[in-house]
Amino acid sequence: MIGAIAAFPDPATLFEVFVSGLAKASLYAMMALGLTLIFGLLGVLNFAHGSLTMLGAYIAGLVMVTFTGSAPAIALFVVAAVVAGVLVGGVGAAMEVGLIRRLYDRPPIYQILLTFGVTLVIDELARIVVLFYGIQPNADWRTATQTKPTSMGGSMDLLGASIGNLELFQIAWGVATVVAVWAFLNRTRYGLVVRAGSEDDEMAAALGIDVRRVFTVVFALGAALAGFAGALLMWDSVWGASVPLASETLLPAFVVVIVGGLGSFRGSVLAALLVGMVDAVMTHVFNLGIIRFSGLSELTIFLILVGVLVVRPQGISGLAEVGGH
Amino acid sequence: MSLLEVEGVHTYYGESHVLEGVSLDVERGEVVALVGRNGVGKTTTLRSILQLTPPREGDVRYDGESLVGLDTHEVADRGVGWIPEDRRVFAHLTVAENVRLSVPQGSDEEAGLETAFEAFPDLRDKRNRDAGTLSGGQQQMLSIARGLVGENDLLLVDEPSEGLAPLIVQNVADALREVAEDTTLLLVEQNLPLALDLADRFYVVDHGTVVDEGTTEGVTTDDERFRRLSA
Repeated sequence: MIGAIAAFPDPATLFEVFVSGLAKASLYAMMALGLTLIFGLLGVLNFAHGSLTMLGAYIAGLVMVTFTGSAPAIALFVVAAVVAGVLVGGVGAAMEVGLIRRLYDRPPIYQILLTFGVTLVIDELARIVVLFYGIQPNADWRTATQTKPTSMGGSMDLLGASIGNLELFQIAWGVATVVAVWAFLNRTRYGLVVRAGSEDDEMAAALGIDVRRVFTVVFALGAALAGFAGALLMWDSVWGASVPLASETLLPAFVVVIVGGLGSFRGSVLAALLVGMVDAVMTHVFNLGIIRFSGLSELTIFLILVGVLVVRPQGISGLAEVGGH
Repeated sequence: MSLLEVEGVHTYYGESHVLEGVSLDVERGEVVALVGRNGVGKTTTLRSILQLTPPREGDVRYDGESLVGLDTHEVADRGVGWIPEDRRVFAHLTVAENVRLSVPQGSDEEAGLETAFEAFPDLRDKRNRDAGTLSGGQQQMLSIARGLVGENDLLLVDEPSEGLAPLIVQNVADALREVAEDTTLLLVEQNLPLALDLADRFYVVDHGTVVDEGTTEGVTTDDERFRRLSA
């Protein structure tokens, strides 16, 4: 054990843990971005977010399994992620128009109960469908995971450290998504409209903005991000496409959103970095055998949540008010 | 045909009957003041015109077309702008973003910014500051600038002088006079001297209905007709 502790500060090891932390942070950011966007802009706590992520994983997996070999795997993955994003975004838009919209003027508990009900429906429907196709719903869909190209399973030497190619891919994917969402909100006319509509829906409407459509777009975008995250998780052996992925991703997503400050985009990105880094360090500590408790990293993540709620309940950069209605 | 015709409008907040048959009209190019004590229904009249609080009875016609049943953004699209009571600038957007947002889609945003900053030079230096950090007077200027660049034919202006220092009120009055050169104004204002100074005609509202009306020419704040306002 002493040898294991002594090996930890080795610069190459530290760099490996750092990169692993960034990769985990990317995954956590992907899981949480849609959730924080919907809460920050609409004030709706979407308990169906995990289920939308799970749907995205299955949809991306289906595209990969169906078309694998017909195009380079990475290109096919991009297509699969886009398809998952678009379809899950469509489900989100339908949810907002058909269900959530009716409850904007009600207390938040109604939205929570409704989205919780939706998650039960989506999970059960997914279970029925995958069972129908002879896929075990409670275990990772191996056929989809195996569409990952062999190069993704390899690693490269970087500054003396061995860095997994999949980790680099996840970091690039996460950074690209965060930058794209930030640019949409801050550098486009429609992003401006979205921010205005979420801050004061009456004033925005009086300026000619169709606020109802804006809210639908925001909900669809948040759902699409969940679908996008699901695509990325489908290739990761720790996660994989399965029905329980819905609850497995919802909890860390909520941790990130709460630690970051409910509704804060920047806070969620910072919280994802914090949680990802802590997860990577604790996973490393467990792998070294310093502490023989496999649930160590999860326990630490939830301890961060408890600590933040006690010391700074508004999170890293929480907002005083969220949602435009 | 008047630009705006409000006819027998009844509006409620829940079960509370706030407007009890308000009728008024505004001709193109006019400045019309809506005066009255606090809580008599002046702001609700503007909200009913915008369909923010849709009337349950009566009609609101703009340029001959009924606005009742439309969404607020559709009313705005027809050229009806709003400068609300408490400014309601988007506090987390910059000054420039607040102005850009008010420029109709398809119009030149940079030209809109230039128009706003020419009218209110103080805002130019603050273009990249969050609107929430501006003083009350500056927020009012920004609110009027939004109305100015909105290319509206009719502006509903609600209590523009409220909470402002006298010197700032004078600036606001000058700005509104400039806006009125090519925009019709329906002005809600408790500051009677200001209302009479800016307006061509006035309506007195009390208990949710219009109780008096007339032109402002030759009328002073001492007029017997306004006694009820201080009662």
